[in-house]
Amino acid sequence: MAQQPLLKMVGVRKTFGPVVALDNVSLELNKNEIHGFLGGNGAGKTTLMNVLYGLYKPDAGEIYLDGQKIDIRSPKDAIAHGIGMVHQHFLQIENYTVTENIVLGTELQNRPTLKLDEAEKRIADLSERFGLVVDPRAVIENLPMGVRQRVEILKALYRGVRILILDEPTTNLTPQEVDALFESLRVMVNQGLSVVFITHKLREVMSVCDRISVLRNGRNAISLPRSEANEEILVREMVGEGLDVEKSLLFSGEGLGKKTLPVGEKVVLHVENLTVRDENGLPVVNDVSFDVHEQEILGLAGVAGNGQQELAESLLGIRPIAAGRVVINGTDVAQTGTRQLIEQGVTYIPQDRLNDGFLPRASVAQNLILGYHRQPPYSSKNGLLNWPAIYQTARRLIKEYTIKTTGPDEIGANLSGGNIQRVMLARAFSHQARLMIAHNPTRGLDIHSMEFVYTKLLEQKEQGLATLLISEDLDELMLLCNRIAVMYRGQIMGILDRSQFDKYQIGRLMSGVKIND
Amino acid sequence: MTEQAIENKLTPGWVTRFLPDLLAVVASFVAAGIFIAAMGFNVLDAYETILFTSFRSTNGFIQTLLKFVPLVLLALAFTVPLAAGKFNIGGEGQMIVGAIGAAAVGIVFADLPGVLLLPLVILGGILFGAFWGAIPAWLLYRFNINEILTTVLMNFISFGLIDYVATEIWKDPLAGHPTTVPIGTGGQLPLLVSSPPLHSGLLIALVTAGLIYMYTNRTSAGYELIATGANPRASHVYGINVRRMFLMSLILGGALAGLAGAIEVSGNHHRLIEGLQSNFLILGIIIGLISRGNNLAVPFVAFFIAVLEVGASAMQRTMMIPGEMVFIVEALVLLFVLLSDVVRRR
Ligand SMILES: Nc1ncnc2c1ncn2[C@@H]1O[C@H](COP(=O)(O)OP(=O)(O)O)[C@@H](O)[C@H]1O
Ligand SMILES: [Mg+2]
Repeated sequence: MAQQPLLKMVGVRKTFGPVVALDNVSLELNKNEIHGFLGGNGAGKTTLMNVLYGLYKPDAGEIYLDGQKIDIRSPKDAIAHGIGMVHQHFLQIENYTVTENIVLGTELQNRPTLKLDEAEKRIADLSERFGLVVDPRAVIENLPMGVRQRVEILKALYRGVRILILDEPTTNLTPQEVDALFESLRVMVNQGLSVVFITHKLREVMSVCDRISVLRNGRNAISLPRSEANEEILVREMVGEGLDVEKSLLFSGEGLGKKTLPVGEKVVLHVENLTVRDENGLPVVNDVSFDVHEQEILGLAGVAGNGQQELAESLLGIRPIAAGRVVINGTDVAQTGTRQLIEQGVTYIPQDRLNDGFLPRASVAQNLILGYHRQPPYSSKNGLLNWPAIYQTARRLIKEYTIKTTGPDEIGANLSGGNIQRVMLARAFSHQARLMIAHNPTRGLDIHSMEFVYTKLLEQKEQGLATLLISEDLDELMLLCNRIAVMYRGQIMGILDRSQFDKYQIGRLMSGVKIND
Repeated sequence: MTEQAIENKLTPGWVTRFLPDLLAVVASFVAAGIFIAAMGFNVLDAYETILFTSFRSTNGFIQTLLKFVPLVLLALAFTVPLAAGKFNIGGEGQMIVGAIGAAAVGIVFADLPGVLLLPLVILGGILFGAFWGAIPAWLLYRFNINEILTTVLMNFISFGLIDYVATEIWKDPLAGHPTTVPIGTGGQLPLLVSSPPLHSGLLIALVTAGLIYMYTNRTSAGYELIATGANPRASHVYGINVRRMFLMSLILGGALAGLAGAIEVSGNHHRLIEGLQSNFLILGIIIGLISRGNNLAVPFVAFFIAVLEVGASAMQRTMMIPGEMVFIVEALVLLFVLLSDVVRRR
């Protein structure tokens, strides 16, 4: 292996104000390899790749390509050097075709006519060559997430890149789409490309990568070929100190086993033929029915944007119900307001925590009681706030949930993203509840917090809580849930019991293929 | 303002807490001093007049308190909707219409005894002011029309309205300026000090400021107001009826300004006089902004501004320095306070 690496990043440092996102980080990418870049949320993976792609200017560090030092100041420079990137949350123009999206920003051959025939043909060729199946004439808004991502990859290939960076590309894909993506990556490296594949999921790097580097807290942890790697080494490097990997839920594989798990007798949430319409009157939740029992976690799987958020919001009275019944603890709550529902023990962890759950201009203490501010002990019957009690709770929660803050008085906006998340988790988990609706509760959380959430969810389930866990992370759902319902275009395609859990079966339902048995 | 913050204020921590504000005040005086000197006046004399006129004579002090009353109420008329994230720029119109309401009640029921008439006059002002605030509030609630625009427009309507009332309906034929006939004597606020006269509107203003502070900072309803201002979407998600908060806060703002109008009629003029709104709107906004919307700070800042205002007219009288100079000082204080916020955030 004396061959010179294709790309080398050396001693990269990047700070954001007081936050040191990268500290003396190095990375070597060989020709024709899929390089797995593994690390928990917040480890600094995206930041490093943004440096490579010319989006961030590093405080220190050098980049070498074929042994030559290069200077990358913008994505344009990066592409000129043959480096392309597919962002985790990429932007596309919804009402343009695939071809139009791809050629946007490149030099057009026949500018006067704007004829795209040639481009279309090249895209079709690339698509064929790398197994990235897509119709160049399709309009973006009609395409599922997996195909849109292929468009994004084709965009880079069309510009002739040699090195392709994929930032958490599997987040919104079904298992089938993940497999297809991995196959395409293999074809790419066989044809001379090199790939940096970023993920926080262990199993993904193990299944597709040739070489694996682990980043932890903005520092290099380890870098080794696939043949020398095993899950245990990688987990330890990813997590570092302070988490008992043996006892960890997150890395427990099968988790609670593959058998049906017992649930309580009582149905806490009963949803019957629920329909919710959007602003244009179109059904975003369409004739949905399911039950959640006491002591049960019902998972709701699905690619983002298939009506999950609307469903959650309608159950909480945030969004009006067009038709159907919602029964909580035996009473019909279709017309009940959010405030009453919270009082009746329904808690919510919204997925967009910053916008839907946080008061940036209010204090940490005020944030910790949002939604519960009319309940004892925070508020007396005559509507007076009990500040001493509020502060007492706030201090306790700050300690219990290790929220880094100067105190209950600190203004919310001063907190870091991770601590804002903790404030909201503390709020959701510390109040007595009978039904919890959690939407992507671990998105963006570091490994320790993720583990914490899993532990809490299971602990509360054991105590009888009914949970509707909406998540785009299939591993998470398969780990924790009693049953998984799959949502596609506003409909429930099927509900599987734990004994029937199968990644690919769920994947099929996620892409709208009904079970036929 | 929270428990902890109050504690902080009372402990030596308050020095560091208020130091930036104090510096802002000093800086604005220095800046204004440069103007005054450039205009060829004695700077130290000017400072002395501005700052100490209020405290050198009983008359000066009472003048200051009389200014303080409408200022504190107009400031609250601005800060209460501000807490919910809404801008009430209509305090002037709400005050005028409140004054009209108070005067109308006082004139129509002039013969009622004081125990009845006085509360009715005050209530009339509050309700009329609330009504004037309710119109933009409703337009916002129902049609989502920006409240800044509508509250300003409502001011202009009120100018026409007071002119009509004072020159057509209850015109005082003897007065040279548009003025109504006096209200019944029962509708006059009793005096706390008879000479120079200080009416009991001061007590009403202080109690009101206390109640508003209680409401915004000590009740769960006030919590909802503040949460709405901090993030309406999250407040909605967690069960707060934010549109009702917008509505209520603007109506309450109108009521507060209306009360100011009623007190001017019932305590000061005993009739409706065109122009009684003075420049209280803009000063109220300045007070609200210097206080950063903190209702505990509002009375103190209002008193400070009242001192400056009284000092300003004295300065104009005795030194021939244009009174507008003080307006520049006030604007500079605001500017420096906002600046100190930016610096502090670094
Ligand atoms: N634009 C930014 N401003 C401030 N902090 C940032 C910014 N981007 C990333 N960070 C911080 O840098 C750290 C690494 O973030 P990131 O590279 O996104 O992690 P990863 O991609 O591994 O999840 C985190 O602590 C994050 O909060
Ligand atoms: Mg990332």
